[in-house]
Amino acid sequence: MTAAPPIEDYGLLGDTRTAALVSSDGAIDWLCAPRFDADPIFGRVVGGPAAGTFRIAPARPATMLTRRYRQHTATVETTWRVGERRLSLTDAMVAEVAGRLLPATLLVRRLVADGGPVHVDVDFDPRLGEHHHPPRTRGRGRDLVCTWGSLAVSLACAPDIDLDVGRPTVVTVAPGRPLTFVLAVAHREPLVHVDPAAAGDLVSEDEVRWNAWSAGIDEDLPYREAVVRSLVTLRLLTYSPSGAPVAAPTTSLPEHPGGVRNWDYRYAWPRDASIGIGAFLGVGKLAEARGFLAWLLHASRLYRPRLPVLLTLDGRHSPPERGLPDWPGYAHSTPVRVGNGAADQHQLDGYGWVLDGAWTLEQAGHRLYSETWRTMRGFADHVARRWHEPDAGIWEIRDDAAHHVHSKVMGWLALDRALRIADTHRLPARQRRRWETARDALAADVKERGFDAARGSYTRSYDSTDLDAALLVLPLLGIEDPHSPRVRGTIDAIAAELGAGGPLLYRYPPGRDGLPGTEGAFLPCSFWLVEALARTGRATEATRRFEALLDHAGPLGLYAEEIDATTGAHLGNYPQALTHAALVQAALALRRTESCRRPTCLLAATCGGPQ
Amino acid sequence: MDWAGWALFGLMATTALTAVMIAAQLAGLTRLDLPLLLGTVATEDPDKARVAGFFIHLAVGQGFALGYAAAFALLDRATWWIGALFGFLHASVALAVLVPLLAGVHPRMASHRAGPASTAALEPPGLFALSYGVQTPLVAVAAHVVYGMLLGLLLTAG
Repeated sequence: MTAAPPIEDYGLLGDTRTAALVSSDGAIDWLCAPRFDADPIFGRVVGGPAAGTFRIAPARPATMLTRRYRQHTATVETTWRVGERRLSLTDAMVAEVAGRLLPATLLVRRLVADGGPVHVDVDFDPRLGEHHHPPRTRGRGRDLVCTWGSLAVSLACAPDIDLDVGRPTVVTVAPGRPLTFVLAVAHREPLVHVDPAAAGDLVSEDEVRWNAWSAGIDEDLPYREAVVRSLVTLRLLTYSPSGAPVAAPTTSLPEHPGGVRNWDYRYAWPRDASIGIGAFLGVGKLAEARGFLAWLLHASRLYRPRLPVLLTLDGRHSPPERGLPDWPGYAHSTPVRVGNGAADQHQLDGYGWVLDGAWTLEQAGHRLYSETWRTMRGFADHVARRWHEPDAGIWEIRDDAAHHVHSKVMGWLALDRALRIADTHRLPARQRRRWETARDALAADVKERGFDAARGSYTRSYDSTDLDAALLVLPLLGIEDPHSPRVRGTIDAIAAELGAGGPLLYRYPPGRDGLPGTEGAFLPCSFWLVEALARTGRATEATRRFEALLDHAGPLGLYAEEIDATTGAHLGNYPQALTHAALVQAALALRRTESCRRPTCLLAATCGGPQ
Repeated sequence: MDWAGWALFGLMATTALTAVMIAAQLAGLTRLDLPLLLGTVATEDPDKARVAGFFIHLAVGQGFALGYAAAFALLDRATWWIGALFGFLHASVALAVLVPLLAGVHPRMASHRAGPASTAALEPPGLFALSYGVQTPLVAVAAHVVYGMLLGLLLTAG
C-alpha cells in the first residue's frame, strides 16, 4: 500500500445522508452507501487498495496549485499544473433530491483542462463489505452498472469513454471539452440514471441552496468564514432523514498512527446533538437546533428514562463492536472497528448536556411541548436517583467506572436546568423538592471530594490528582461563580499541565487511559479553553488561542478529533462534529465578550454563564 | 352483514389494537406511535397530535372493520382464528406497504431522500417500520392479530 495521504488532506463531500472523503490526489477513498453507517463502496483510507477507490488525477507529474471549497458550499475544487497546462477537478454530491427523479446518492466529478489537452488517470474500483466484494458489472448504454444484491452503483461519463471496473484508464481532457462523471447509487430501489450534461446544473442548484443556507447565519460573527465552514460541516454530518448528528463519517482513523485507538464514529451521540443545539441556536439557525431536540426525543424513546450514550442513525442500539481482521487500517493502525462498545456505558454527563440543550431552546423563546417536558423530567429523575454512582465519564474509557468530577458537575447541570425549566412548566412540589435536594447534595459532594485544595483545582475524579480538560465547561454551568478562584484555578491548572504546546491541550494526562500508545492533543478541549477564557474575562488570551487554533485547520478548514502536537498532523476520525461544534461555541463566546462590553447586552446568562 | 356489530365491535377492536400498541411503547418495545404519526398530519404539537391521531385511528380502524365484516359475510362465518389470520395479513400489508408510503404524503415526515431543506420532524419508518425498533413488526402483528381475533369473536356473537 502506498502511504496514505495525511488525514487533513481529505475534503468532505456530502449530501446529509452519507459522505465521501476526497484527497488532493483526486482519490475518493471513503464513501459509505447508501448512508453514513453502511458498508463503504470506496474504503481505501482504512481498508487498503483492496477496499476500493475512485481516483481521477493527472496521469503525469503535476503540482497542485489550489484546492478549496467554493465559498459557503460543499463543492471542492482542485487545480493542478501539468507542465504548462492546467487541470481542474470539481467534486460535489447533490444534497437536495427530494421531489425529483434523482438517485438518493449522486456524486458529480467534473474535469476541465486549460492551456492544452491533459492526460488523466481514471481508476474506478468500487468494492463492498468486509471482504471487499467486487461487483457484478454490466454496461447499460454508456453507463457502467455495478451491483451487489440490493445495492447498485452506476457510473456515467460524458463525453463517452471506455471504462472497466478496477482497471485504471488514461483519458484525455481537451480544453473546451469538460469530462463529467456521474456516480449514482440505488439501494433497494431502481437506479436512476442522470445525464452527465444535466449534472452540472444540479450541483449549481445545490450550491445556490448552500449559499442561501449560509446567508442565514448571523453576519456579526467573529471569524465568520471559519464558523460557516464548521456549520456547513455540521450540517453535512446531520443525517437528514432522522436528524441524527453523526459524530464523524469515518471509522478507525487512528488517534495514534500504528496503534489500537481506532473507533467507529458513524453513530449519533445525544451529547453532540445537545451541543449542536447551542451552536446552531447561537448563530440564528433555529430549525437545526429544534431538529436536534426532536431527534433526541424520538431516538431515545425506547430507552427512557435512561439516555443511551450513542445510537444508530435511526435510533437503534449500535451493533456489537468488532474488528475487521483483514483490513490493514490507516497507517497500519489496527484493528479497524465497526460498532462501538461504548454504547452500553453509563455516562452521567449526557443528561446535563441534553437538559442544558432543552433549557437553551426554552431561553430562546421556544417553549417545550408537554411531551418534551415529560421526557426531561424523566431524565432529571434518573439523575437524582443515580448521581452518586460511578460512571464511565465523557471520555468513554473502557472498564474505568469512577466518580468523574465532570460527570458530577454535568449531573448538577441536569438538575439545575430541569429546575429552571420547571419555573415555567408544571412540576409536582414533591418532585421539585427531590431535585433540589439532589442538586444541593451533588454540589456539596463534588465541591468537597472533587476539588484538590493544595493545587487549587478540580480534579479528574474523586481521590485522583489528575486533571481533566472536560472541566473547562465549569464557567459555563453556574455551579461555581465563573470568576471564583476555584474556577480560575482549574482553568489555569488545565492550561498549564495539560498544555500540548501553543493553543493545544490534551484531554487528560497522556497515557492515563489503560490503552497502549499515546494520543494527540484533543481539539474540542482546546476550543473549550478558548470559551472558558472568554467567559472568565480573558478575551485577549482567548482570541490569541482561537486564532492559533484556526492555523491548525486542515487545508480545507476541516478538523479531526485530535492533532499531533509535534507534527501538526490531524488524528482520529475526520472531520469531527464535536470539534467543529466547539469551534462555533468558542467563536460565539468571543462574540459575547465583545457584545458584553456594549450596553446592549441583554442576557446576563449568555455573557457570564447562568446566574 | 352485521351492521350494528360492525359499528360497536369495530370501535372496540380498534381501541384494543391501540391499547396493545401503546402498552408495547410503554414497555420499550417499539417507537411506533400510530396516533402520533396520524395526528401530526394535522398539528405539530405531539400531545395535541396524539388526541387527533387517536380519533383518526379510530375512524381508520372502523373502515378496516368494514372490510373484515364484509369478508366474514362473504365467507359466511366469523371465527377468532379467521379474524387472527386477517389481522396477520392486515399487519403485513400495513408494515410492508402502508406505513412506508406515509413518508410520501405525510407533511411532517422525512423520507430516506430528505436533504438539508427538509424541515420534517418525523423519521421515516422504513420497510416493516424497522426504523422504529427491531421489535416493531412483531408488536404490529400482535396488535393486528388481537384486532382481527376480537372482530372474529364478537361478530360471531353479534
